[in-house]
Amino acid sequence: MTSARISQLLFLVIFIFLFVMTEYRGHDEINAAVNSFFRADPLVLLSYLFAAKEWTWLLLPAVLMTLATFLLGRFFCGWICPLGTILDLITPTIRKSVPIRMLKGNTKYWLLIPILSASLFNLNLSGLLDPIAILLRGLTFLLYPLLGMTAREGWVGLYRLIGERRDTVAPAYNLLRDNLLPFRDTMYPLAFLSAIILLVVILLERYETRNWCRNLCPLGTLMGLLGRFSPFNRVPLGLCGDCGQCRELCPTTFDQGGLNKEECILCMECEHGCPNARISFRPSFRVKYQLPLIPGRRVLLGGIASGLLLAVPARFRSPEKDSRLLRPPGVRDEDNFLKKCVRCGECMKVCLKNALYPSAWQAGVEGIYTPLLIPRLGYCEFNCTLCGQVCPTGAIPNLPVFKKRREVIGKAVFDKNHCLPFAKRIDCIVCEEHCPIPDKAIRSRELKLTGFDGVVRTVKEPYVMEEICNGCGICEFVCPVETKAGIEVFAVKNRAPIAEPAATAGTLDVSGQTGYDVR
Amino acid sequence: MDRREFIKSAGAFTLMTPILFKEALAAMDQPLVVVAEGRDYPVITRRAINAVGGMKRFVKRGDVVVVKPNMGWDRSVELAANTHPLVVRTVVEECLSAGARKVKVFDNTCNDARRCYVNSGIENALEGMKNVECKHIETERFKKVALNGQFLKEWELYDEALSANVYINVPIAKHHGLSKLTLGLKNVMGVMGGNRGFIHRNIDVALADINSHLKSHLTLIDATRILTAHGPQGGNIADVKVLNKVIASTDIVAADAFATTLFGMKPADIPVTVSAYKRGLGEMNLDRIKVVRV
Repeated sequence: MTSARISQLLFLVIFIFLFVMTEYRGHDEINAAVNSFFRADPLVLLSYLFAAKEWTWLLLPAVLMTLATFLLGRFFCGWICPLGTILDLITPTIRKSVPIRMLKGNTKYWLLIPILSASLFNLNLSGLLDPIAILLRGLTFLLYPLLGMTAREGWVGLYRLIGERRDTVAPAYNLLRDNLLPFRDTMYPLAFLSAIILLVVILLERYETRNWCRNLCPLGTLMGLLGRFSPFNRVPLGLCGDCGQCRELCPTTFDQGGLNKEECILCMECEHGCPNARISFRPSFRVKYQLPLIPGRRVLLGGIASGLLLAVPARFRSPEKDSRLLRPPGVRDEDNFLKKCVRCGECMKVCLKNALYPSAWQAGVEGIYTPLLIPRLGYCEFNCTLCGQVCPTGAIPNLPVFKKRREVIGKAVFDKNHCLPFAKRIDCIVCEEHCPIPDKAIRSRELKLTGFDGVVRTVKEPYVMEEICNGCGICEFVCPVETKAGIEVFAVKNRAPIAEPAATAGTLDVSGQTGYDVR
Repeated sequence: MDRREFIKSAGAFTLMTPILFKEALAAMDQPLVVVAEGRDYPVITRRAINAVGGMKRFVKRGDVVVVKPNMGWDRSVELAANTHPLVVRTVVEECLSAGARKVKVFDNTCNDARRCYVNSGIENALEGMKNVECKHIETERFKKVALNGQFLKEWELYDEALSANVYINVPIAKHHGLSKLTLGLKNVMGVMGGNRGFIHRNIDVALADINSHLKSHLTLIDATRILTAHGPQGGNIADVKVLNKVIASTDIVAADAFATTLFGMKPADIPVTVSAYKRGLGEMNLDRIKVVRV
């Protein structure tokens, strides 16, 4: 096995490990999350810088990766990329036909350049086609929930079969549940699309090895461009006249007669398999490069123009959709959020109460795959700060819990046609009970009302204290009115954090620090 | 005494007899409420249990026991939203030393179960104890039960609570927005599944329905610290009052009735208590409850 292959498997294991770790497992802080991969992603870096036009230290690893790519070339693809590794593992089982002509030539630049150019015009779409994001979304939205549901169905089925006796094998299942399975079974919108995209990337292997990587992947293409002048070269550059074995050994580039450095992923299979041991990878400055340098002026200008053409119409969103455009806590400005969000899906994976879901069309074309809070399905847990912790670009800010609690997601509004005390003149107040604001953003007043049955009774009528409502959505989540809730959270423009209650300033509990030694 | 007077008094006496008899009987059979006070919570918990007859009175060797605390909220111990972990652990220890085969501790939480179990301190307090389970609720274990109550005809209840030999109710005394207080009677909501918020529309009758079906063999109210406002989850230390008390009784209504006085209220102010009393689930008149302080 080559070192590259060992490294690939290692990073795949790390990726899966971090993926599983991106979940609440008894601690308020997640130390290592799968966001590391995005934070070291030059495509994410560039599109962030172009779109947000500001710097974040979160992306420092991506700067280092960019420098490393300058020096070494496109090693990420052959040594690290988990999607590439998965393709390498699967591709031997797929019989190849001929490469698709359409994908050759400038196609990959037609993807990369518009993406970068659209970022300049404030539309950050890099995450849509970023290979790590494609893999992560496929896992998060379909495969992982599928694993969880299968395991749980089996576990529940066992209970139906043998009842209490199931407890004898509970330790084994608990081990699995606590360390591997998702806590809750969640169905995500766009699960199907996410899986299809991943599947297409895999199925492209039918035509040639690493088809996605060499002909489409915008991250790979970017790294190819960056690494094209690296002093680290394969020697000799071309095929030897008497052998030509490289044609068979190389997964990406030698089928066109020579080495196209932009496509070389430094897997070193050629060095490893060379019958004459002539090949080496080393710093060498004398190598002359024979292929044309830039993708071509026409592609460059065309790409930039299409980025602009893409960015402007994608902004359209019908105004009524804005009312339920609820973003994760700490996101105060929609436009700024859209510039920074990678659409990687990590916040949705980690969300404690599964309140976050990928937007299909709710946020317009430009908002596809961005996280939306859907209170009827889950609410934002008062003491939880996980989404901010795993966001690779800080689109969702990583806030300490006492700040996050005060961040406004929206404001709750009663619907008097549905809310029981109004609509039916009977008691309820489940929303007030669950409101986590210490001073209660939902309160009630006692009224003597004549019920519709003619009986006079005292009924507690709820109302919202708007200035201290943070829009967490638990009221809407727990509202016992079926289907449509009697209280709903609506988005607001002004998301200035709610004031700290004077009486409790500084004394709010920091969850997990009980102050009691219970042992 | 003339004839008329005699007949009058005789008639009155005859009419009064059953009532007087009942009074006399009640005096003999008054429900006992134990109030233990002190800063050492394991000690007062143990004292309270011993004063109601010791755990051996309830738990027989080989029994499966459910200890049901209130741990429904993601709040830390001092905020008085969940039963104190030391109280819970002491009850569990007493069950074990009385010979329980297994002690199960759970609650159908309102906030995320993982966070509630961790931050209530209860999961941690029970960690490593043999024959003790502190598992999250598993929804497949809810069983539809015919209650034939006045408001609830049937509801999903947790089968581990139903099948246990002994059910010990360990609530914390708290303010509640709708029912004014939440004590022992309301703590059984933690074994209910389904759309629990539904019962809020007639909560006092609904809780009497559930408590008629699922009897608490022992009710132990944690009043080491109580939540006096913004219940049931609070969040503000200013709403917490430290009382250093634990209340124990086999009569859930009597325990609740006494605990009501800790908030400066009368049992008759709490519709849940009144409704359960009317249903015959226990005594709420303080003058007919024997209060023993230990």
